[in-house]
Amino acid sequence: MVEILKELEERFQVSDLVQQKDHLAFVSVDKNKAIPMITWLKDQAGYTSLTLITAVDWLEDGKFQLTYMINNPKNKTQIAARVMIDRENATMESAHHLWESVRIYQRELKEMFGIDFPGSPGVDESFILEGWVDIPPYRRDFDTKKYSEETYFPRPGRQSNDPAEYMKSKMYPNE
Amino acid sequence: MSIKDLLTPFTAWKRITKDPVTIRDPFNDRPGAERYRGFHKNDVNKCIGCGTCEDICENEAIDMVPFKDPISGDSGLRPRLDYGRCCWCALCVDVCTTNSLTLSNEYTWVTVDPEDFRYTPGVDKKAWDDNEKGWKKPEGNYEFYNINRVEMHHLHPEDRDKSFVEMVKGYSREQAIAEADRCVECGICTATCPAHMGIPEYIKAVRHEDMEEGLRILYETNPLPEICGRICTHKCETVCSIGHKGDPLSIRWLKRYIADNVSSDKYKEILNTIDLSNNHKKVAIIGSGPAGLSAAHYLALMGYQCTIFEQYEKAGGMMRYGIPEYRLPYDSIDKDIDYILSLGVDIKYNARIGIDITLEQLNKDYDAVFAGTGLHLGRSTGIPGSDNEHVYYATDLLRQITAGEEIEVTDQIVVIGGGNVAMDITRSLARMQNQKFGKVNIITTALEREKNLPADLEEVVESREEGAVINPGWAPQSIEIENGRPVGLHVIKCNSLFDDSGRFNPQCDITKKEFFRGSMIVQSIGQGMDLSYVSEDFKKDLEFGPRGRVQTNAHFQTSVKWFFMGGDIIEGPDVIHGIANGHKAAIGIDNYIQGIDFAPAK
Repeated sequence: MVEILKELEERFQVSDLVQQKDHLAFVSVDKNKAIPMITWLKDQAGYTSLTLITAVDWLEDGKFQLTYMINNPKNKTQIAARVMIDRENATMESAHHLWESVRIYQRELKEMFGIDFPGSPGVDESFILEGWVDIPPYRRDFDTKKYSEETYFPRPGRQSNDPAEYMKSKMYPNE
Repeated sequence: MSIKDLLTPFTAWKRITKDPVTIRDPFNDRPGAERYRGFHKNDVNKCIGCGTCEDICENEAIDMVPFKDPISGDSGLRPRLDYGRCCWCALCVDVCTTNSLTLSNEYTWVTVDPEDFRYTPGVDKKAWDDNEKGWKKPEGNYEFYNINRVEMHHLHPEDRDKSFVEMVKGYSREQAIAEADRCVECGICTATCPAHMGIPEYIKAVRHEDMEEGLRILYETNPLPEICGRICTHKCETVCSIGHKGDPLSIRWLKRYIADNVSSDKYKEILNTIDLSNNHKKVAIIGSGPAGLSAAHYLALMGYQCTIFEQYEKAGGMMRYGIPEYRLPYDSIDKDIDYILSLGVDIKYNARIGIDITLEQLNKDYDAVFAGTGLHLGRSTGIPGSDNEHVYYATDLLRQITAGEEIEVTDQIVVIGGGNVAMDITRSLARMQNQKFGKVNIITTALEREKNLPADLEEVVESREEGAVINPGWAPQSIEIENGRPVGLHVIKCNSLFDDSGRFNPQCDITKKEFFRGSMIVQSIGQGMDLSYVSEDFKKDLEFGPRGRVQTNAHFQTSVKWFFMGGDIIEGPDVIHGIANGHKAAIGIDNYIQGIDFAPAK
C-alpha cells in the first residue's frame, strides 16, 4: 500500500495518512480534490468497488466528515478517504456517476445529516423517514429523547422510583 | 400475463437435485451469536438498585420497581424493562455499577399479550435466565467512569511524624472536578449517612464548580463541613455504588473541598443568614460538641436565642479535645464554630452545670434544654497495676495535649486499645517521642485481631508508617510495677471476643504469653458518660435503658419533657451522628416549645 499512498500524496496532496492495518489506510483529502481522487483510484488504480459512504457530525468544529471507503478486489486493499466539509449549508459534489449505489448513500446522507449532493438522482426524496419535519436525526443537536417524548404516548401503567427518595420513604420517612 | 410470467416459477425446479441452502428444520434452535445482544438478565442479589441503568437509557425503557425493603447500600429497587422501547444498545449493561446486568443471546419470544414484554429480569423467571452467552461488559479497561479515585496527597511519614501539621493536603480544583466526575448520582449513600446529607447534589456542585450552591447543600444537613470534611467516619463511602468494582467516591474529601474553597466572610451572604428572625424563646445547650453546635445552629435559624454552656476554655468538645491537630487543625474547627456563633448563638466558657448553675435553674431560665455532653470519661481495664499514677487514660492525655499542658512522655510506651482514639493517642505520643528522643518506641495492643480492629484501616496503616507497632489480638492481664512505676504489660493471646450467641466473652489461651515493655501505659478501651451534672433527684425522673443510657424518643426528648439529649451520650460515638442528633433535637425542641406533644421516650 505504501506506493499507492505515496502516489496519492503527490497527485492529490492527501494528508493525515494512517495505515490502520496491512490492507487498510485512511487519508484526508480536500473537498475539491476528493471526487477526482476517487475517480482516479477507480479508473487507474484498481479500486473498482465502493464499500460505503458515511458521515460524522463534528458539531463543535462546525464540520461534517464524509468518509468514502473503496476497495481493490485484486490486491484486497481498502482506502478510506476523509473529507471535511462545512456543516452550515453542507454540500458535496455528487459521485453518483461512478457507482450505481452512490445515489442511495447520498439520499440517505441527505435525509439523516442534511448533506446535499446537487444533481444526484432522487436525492430529495424520502429515504426511510417519510413525512419527516424535524432537523435531520443523525445530527448531534437532534434530541432523540425529547423527540420521542413529544411524538409517542407513554405506555400506561409504567412507574419508576428514584433510589434515594424511595429509600427515604421506607427507611426514614419522618426526617 | 405473458408466457414468461407463467414459466418463471418453474425455474426453481432446476435446483431440485441440489442441497437446500435454507435451514432444514425451522423448529430447531437458531441460537444468536456468542455476544448477541438479546433479552436482559439481572443477578438480583448482586444488583443494588442504583438506577444508573435507568439514567443512561436514552429510550426510557427502564423503570426502577420495588423488589424488597431497602437496606443500607441497597435501594431494594430493581430495573424493569419495557421492550416496546428497548433498542438493545446495552448501554445499561456497560454502565452497570455492580456488573449484575447482562444480556442473553436469546432473541425469540412469542406471546399474545403485549404487557408480557415488560418484565423485571431476575425477578420474573424467564427461559434465558441461565443462558451463559450473550452480551456482558467487556473485560479490561472498558468503563464509563474512572474506577480509580483521584489520589489524595498525604505528607510522607518522615515529613509528618515529628509535628502536628495537617497531613492530608486536600484536593486541587482539577483533582476535585475529576473526582466528582466519577459520581453516577444514584444517591444510595444518602440513606447511610446519619445526617442524610445531599451527597450527589453537592458532588454535582463541585463538578459544576458552584461552591456557593455546594455550601448551601452542605448546611441543609450539616453545619460542620470543615470538620466533617476531614474526620467524618464516612460510612457513605462504604456503600458507594462505584465502590463495587473500584474505589468508592472520596465523598469526604469533596465535602472538605467545598468548605475549604469558600471564604468564611461570605458564609452569611451565601447561606442567607444575615437577617435571622427572633422568636424571643430561649434554649440552653450543654456542651459545644457536634450535637450541641448542630442543635444551636438549626435552632438559631428558627429564631431561637441559644446559650451554650461549655466546661472548657474553647468550643468543640471531642472534636477539639479528642481529635489530634494533625487530623483536624484548630483553624478548621474555628471556621465552622465561628460561623455558628455569628448567628447570635451565645456561649459561656468554663461553665460547669451542677457547679456554676444547676439543671433546675436552666429549666427556670430557658424554654428548653439540650444536653450533648458526650463520652469523656476514660474506662479502666481494671487490671492489677492500672491504678498506678503513670497509667493514663487516652482521653485525658489528648485533652491535655490540646490545652497545651505538659504531659509525661517516656521513651517506651504501651497503649491498650484498638479504636480510633487509641490510634489518635498512639500517633500523638509517637510524634512527641520523636520530638523528645528522636525515635518512636510505642506498642499498641488490642483484644481484637487485626482484621476486626475497630479503628479505621487508614489509621492503623498510618500509625505503622509513623513507626508505632500495632500488635493486636492480646488480652491485658496486669501491669508490672517496679519502684513505683510501670515496666510493662503482661498479656495473653486472645482467640475470640464473642461467643456463639454474640455476647462479649473473650476466649484466651493462657499458655501464649507476652510481655510488652513500657514505662508508661495508656488505656484507651472506650469512654463512659459523665452524668455528674445531673442531680440525684433529677435522675429519678429520667428513664434509663438496660445499659445505663438515658432513654430518648425520636426527637431526642427524654422522659423529662423540657430536657433533650443527643450525640455520643445517646448514639454513636462519632461526629456525624452527633450532628444528625442535634438537628433532629432542634426540630423536636421547636415542636415542644410550640406545644406539640409526641410519643414518650422509650
